[in-house]
Formats: sequence, C-alpha cells, structure tokens
Amino acid sequence: MHIPDGFLSFEITALMWIISIMFLAVAWRKAKSTYNQSLTPTLAVSSAFIFVAQMLNFPIAYGTSGHLVGGTFLAVVLGPYAAILSMTIVLLMQALFFADGGILAMGANIFNMAIIGGLSFFIFKLISGGNERGVKFYFGLSAASWLSVVLGALACGLEIGLSPVFSSAGGVAVTVPAMLFWHALIGLGEAAITTTILTQLYRLKPTVLGGLAYMRRGLHAGSS
Amino acid sequence: MQEAAKALMLVLLSFAVLTPFASTYPDGLERVAETIGVEEPEPVWGGLMPDYTLPIIENPYASTVLAGFIGAVMVAAASFALGKTLNMKKR
Repeated sequence: MHIPDGFLSFEITALMWIISIMFLAVAWRKAKSTYNQSLTPTLAVSSAFIFVAQMLNFPIAYGTSGHLVGGTFLAVVLGPYAAILSMTIVLLMQALFFADGGILAMGANIFNMAIIGGLSFFIFKLISGGNERGVKFYFGLSAASWLSVVLGALACGLEIGLSPVFSSAGGVAVTVPAMLFWHALIGLGEAAITTTILTQLYRLKPTVLGGLAYMRRGLHAGSS
Repeated sequence: MQEAAKALMLVLLSFAVLTPFASTYPDGLERVAETIGVEEPEPVWGGLMPDYTLPIIENPYASTVLAGFIGAVMVAAASFALGKTLNMKKR
C-alpha cells in the first residue's frame, strides 16, 4: 500500500502532509503525557518487528500479494498514539533508505498506515468492550486489523484516484473499488496474523500488551 | 532490556528463515496501477538499498537478509531514541 512518488498530485501531496502533521502533533502530545519509560524496549522491538514483517509478502490470489501492515498490532502493544509514532518511523526508514513509498508521498502513507493503523485501536476497544479474552476479544482484534487495512486502502484509493495520473483511467470510480477489492483479501491475512500473534503474546506475557493497560485506564476514567 | 534483546534476535532469526518464502507478486496497490495501466514513475530518491537489497552483495538471499537486518536495527534504534525523547521532561 506504499504510494511511490509520482502517483499523487501536488494538491493531494500537500493536503496529506498537513493532515498527517496535525495528527502526529496530537499523537506526540498524547503519547508523551501517558508515556512510561518501561515501554521503550518494547517500542524498539515492536517497530523492528513491523519493519521486517512488512518485507514478508504473502500471496493472496490471482498473482497478487500483500503483507502485514501492523497498525493494529502496534496499537494493542503500545497504545494508539505511540503506535502512530512507531509506524511513522518504519515508513520514514522505508522511504529514506529502501525506496519503498515515496519521500513526497510519505504524508499520504503516514495517514493511510500509521494514523489509521494507530486509531484502529478504538475499533478494537469498541468491539471488544474491554474484554481481554473470549469471542469479543478475538473478534475485536480481527475486525480492527481487517478494517485498518481496508480503510487505509480506501484512503489510498481516494488519494490516487483524485490525482491526474489515475483520473484519465476513471479516477476514484475505478481506484477505490479496485483498492477495496484487493485489500479486503489482504486484510484477511492481516487479521489472521495480528490475532494469532497477539493472542500468543498475551498467553506468554500479558504485560507486553501495553495497549490493554491503556484501555483499562481509559475505561476506568470513562466510568468514573 | 536483556529480554528485549532476545526478542529482537528472535524477530531477526524468524525473518531470515521466512524471507525465501516471501511472495514476489505485485502488492495490492501495484496490481491496481498495473491493471489501470499506470507505469510506476522513476523515484525522486532511489534510496541506498532499493527494493531491500544491498547493491554490493550479489547473492540475493544474503543481500535481502542483510538489508532487512540493517533496516530493523535502524528502526529499533530510532524507536529507542523516540522512547527516550518521549520520556524527557516529565511533569
């Protein structure tokens, strides 16, 4: 889903940078205000994990592949705001050193993957209803991770479809359904991998899922 | 800290084992561009390790694994620095 340079118009490029910088500023402030330094090693390892996981494409269908994006994974491990910052580091390194995703298009890529990915935490929170086991927990993880990919693809389809490179081919009427079709399938892989790894991590070392602690505090604050 | 180092080793090892099985098919967005007939333009910036390979290493497996290791260590270091920065000047 990494948009290369040359796909987006100047207006879309600029707009997505502005939107992403605003979200990053909020994420920075919120992550800082609740940050516990014991999270730092987990932050480093989980970001590195997402970087290598994004290199491992799995085949989907009809000669197309996808890879884990990992927004929901990071959000459940780090909480939504640190997850946004962590994924932004992954995208920055990919664009700077590996030519994966454009430098100019990074504003759009940060929105599509880091911001939507981090905020998928609230989909998880809503569906799981604060449960840390059972059907609601699994369904919350699966639905949030599937939606994080599908909503990211929707944003990506709009961004490229509104840019001239794709508008001659039909614009958003073509790009949005096409992006949604492939990413509805890729999202199934995302959901399977995210749910499997997080439930195993929870079984082995529940304290590593810092997002759950964040959820407990949030629910408590909300109910009092 | 020691636990984190072990976890990072496990991540890198799993990556080295799994990478030969990674699919080389185009991803979702590349497939959409291909279907529509949009050519991917020349990148503004090619990066030092384009397509996750080290240009100086011929063996494709070693090249990809090393590029992945270097990237993972850079991401871990930057994230560690982010954590330290987030922790500064706490009220």
